[in-house]
Amino acid sequence: MDRIYKQLLLGSLMMLALQANAQTDSTKKLKDVTVRKRRSPYTMLDPIKKELVSNRDLLKAACCNLSESFETTPSVDVAFTDAISGYKQVQMLGLAGPYTMITRENIPDTRGLAAITGLTFTPGTWIEGMQLSKGTGSVVNGYESVAGQINVEWKKPFEDKDEKLLLNLYQSSQGRTEGNIVYRNKFSDKLSTNLFVHGKTQWLKLDGNGDGFLDQPLDKQFVAANRWFWFGPNGWEVQGGVKGVFVENAGGQWDYKEGDVQGLGKPWGYTMSTQRAEAWAKIGKMFPNKPATSVGLQLSGLYHDQNAVYGTTNYLATQRSFYANLIYQSIIGNTNHVIKAGASSLIDNYDETLRAVNYTRNEVVPGIFAEYAYTMSSKFNLVAAIRGDYHNLYGAFATPRLHVRYAPFARTVFRASVGRAQRTANIFAENMGYMASGRSFYVRSAATGSKPYGLDPEIAWNTGVNLTQKFTLDYRDGALSVDYYYTQFQNQVVVDIENPHAVNFYNLVGQSFANSLQAQFDYELIHNLDMRLAYRWYDVKTTYGGTLKERPLIAAHRAFANLAYETRNHWKFDYTVQWIGSKRIPSVHEHHSTVIAPESYSPSFFQMNAQISKTWNENLEVYLGGENLTNYMMHDPIIGADNPYAPGFDASMVWGPIMGANFYAGFRLKLR
Amino acid sequence: MKNLILIITLLFSVPVIAQDKDIVTKTFKVDGNCGMCKKRIEEAAFVKGVKRAEWNKGTHVLTVTYKPSKTNDENILKSVAHAGHSSELVKTTDAEYKKLPECCQYKTNTCEH
Repeated sequence: MDRIYKQLLLGSLMMLALQANAQTDSTKKLKDVTVRKRRSPYTMLDPIKKELVSNRDLLKAACCNLSESFETTPSVDVAFTDAISGYKQVQMLGLAGPYTMITRENIPDTRGLAAITGLTFTPGTWIEGMQLSKGTGSVVNGYESVAGQINVEWKKPFEDKDEKLLLNLYQSSQGRTEGNIVYRNKFSDKLSTNLFVHGKTQWLKLDGNGDGFLDQPLDKQFVAANRWFWFGPNGWEVQGGVKGVFVENAGGQWDYKEGDVQGLGKPWGYTMSTQRAEAWAKIGKMFPNKPATSVGLQLSGLYHDQNAVYGTTNYLATQRSFYANLIYQSIIGNTNHVIKAGASSLIDNYDETLRAVNYTRNEVVPGIFAEYAYTMSSKFNLVAAIRGDYHNLYGAFATPRLHVRYAPFARTVFRASVGRAQRTANIFAENMGYMASGRSFYVRSAATGSKPYGLDPEIAWNTGVNLTQKFTLDYRDGALSVDYYYTQFQNQVVVDIENPHAVNFYNLVGQSFANSLQAQFDYELIHNLDMRLAYRWYDVKTTYGGTLKERPLIAAHRAFANLAYETRNHWKFDYTVQWIGSKRIPSVHEHHSTVIAPESYSPSFFQMNAQISKTWNENLEVYLGGENLTNYMMHDPIIGADNPYAPGFDASMVWGPIMGANFYAGFRLKLR
Repeated sequence: MKNLILIITLLFSVPVIAQDKDIVTKTFKVDGNCGMCKKRIEEAAFVKGVKRAEWNKGTHVLTVTYKPSKTNDENILKSVAHAGHSSELVKTTDAEYKKLPECCQYKTNTCEH
């Protein structure tokens, strides 16, 4: 047996080598032809590795908004924040969602209060594609991204190949109805506009696990946006847009009605209402006589207001933000030396009231930045950048970042990055899930001066290396990608839930870090059958009250496989299976008792999604799919569900699916 | 572990064994416009016996790798013409051409994508 497999291994290695030679002969002719089409999920020339999430990838899960769309992306983990609100948060590199910067066409988008909920404000149907990069990104977009950046590109109004009008309706077996309209009009080559409308409602009360609580709240959500593009003479480009969001959620115990007084003996309820308005503009000017020189100004302002009730806890919050970013780009001599420099200003005003205690703050952060991109050859290039900002509450700080790319062969790319990131933790908004519990919130701070919540800023250093290897095997393309990132916190606002009755927030004393290793393999198995296999490993630890512990509710291991097949007559089949490893659950009350159980580990589990779709004449697409097909559910997602006003009540210890299998159907109608 | 290695070995061996000298790569000029055309042309060129088909929208050159024992230039380009795209060897019929979406009608329209 031993000998046989050794021989086989040797044999196939030799053949691989032979084949590699043969391939180079036959592909020599192809050399000038650009490396091909949709099956390349990564950028190859950029010093910053970007995973491209195409419209096709987004449609693998017909549902529905940004947070759900990541369920088919191995680099991003998606998990419920709690068993009441139905909100999900994303994780990258083992770090919570707010550590990832989400930008809409390179303008910071869901910051601050919307860091968790904001992902549901961008429907998947509006999106043209996304670029996902791990590690600290470009300084041009600010100093905040710790774990990575996700840039979302909306559909453009001037793309002639796109439909004029896209109508989408979606219905799930769990009582969720959703509709989207994406309209574009190109008045001329100069002027074009987009109109986006989204409506969603969860109208069916569901309690699959029989704990008396709705598995997800009833809701009404309405989002609309309008934007304009103007391409003027002499290299002028102007874009402006507005977006409005209106959301009403109501959940909790079955008998709870919105507005009911809450307290012992009465139904426990959850309500949240959100109103958000955004406006933005981009003004750009290219200089026709000066090659590759441009000036751009990004402006964005937002108003966000939310009112949440979790049982007897009331959390009211308002955010007003203004952002301006001026970017000058030019070359020194030739395009091998590109510089970007500019100045930015970030103004955030927060007014929060949690359990009748008011917290207000104003953050004003002017900053300047410079980024230098050097291309030595097609094999070696780098981006070195630094920015300096002055924070009115935290003082001045510098943000250096470096990205290096080395490609020894055309299809082999090594990249390395190192950088600093800083951000202000919005401790309540980012941890709203814990409000769905009997836990008290304590901010352990020296309470000196005017620092936000009396706490220091979060400062982290992120270093990473990655390898992308593209290959052709039997005339079909594939890619292998391995990346490793290490994030170390110089300071972190620790969210300590080790005590079952409290959430403690304090500045880090000791160590806090996140190791992340991911390997991904993409290959076209047979013509038009794409396979993606991925595995990722996290080692995320923080010092909680003097003890270095694994961060709770994060799976150390996750394996992922996706198969996508498309037939000639436009049937598409998608199948995703994932294995999610066990997560640490801190010490909590035992279910139905006052006894406190020691910390434990959740079981690992499988999840499966599948979808079939058929397109007619490139105009009508009908889809049918299922989520969580293994029907795996947490039995008791809410600890102490029968006594929600007692201290042992906790709906925030969610490690797995709360709802069973869900089936859905819908269509997309495109009018050209 | 041993089994895993065996499986991986087999996975890689099969396509290698399947490969032989019966393979050619040729290029043809095929009319078309944009990314949408690209997909249509490549799919049409992928007739039985073809291992790889790639159309460059910049140069309008279609590169096909196929097994001469199973198909030939004419077969491939007939299929492409049938989908509405003319080439040096086979011209499309008016009826087939008119079925193309507006932006792909390369005789009259262009698209800057």
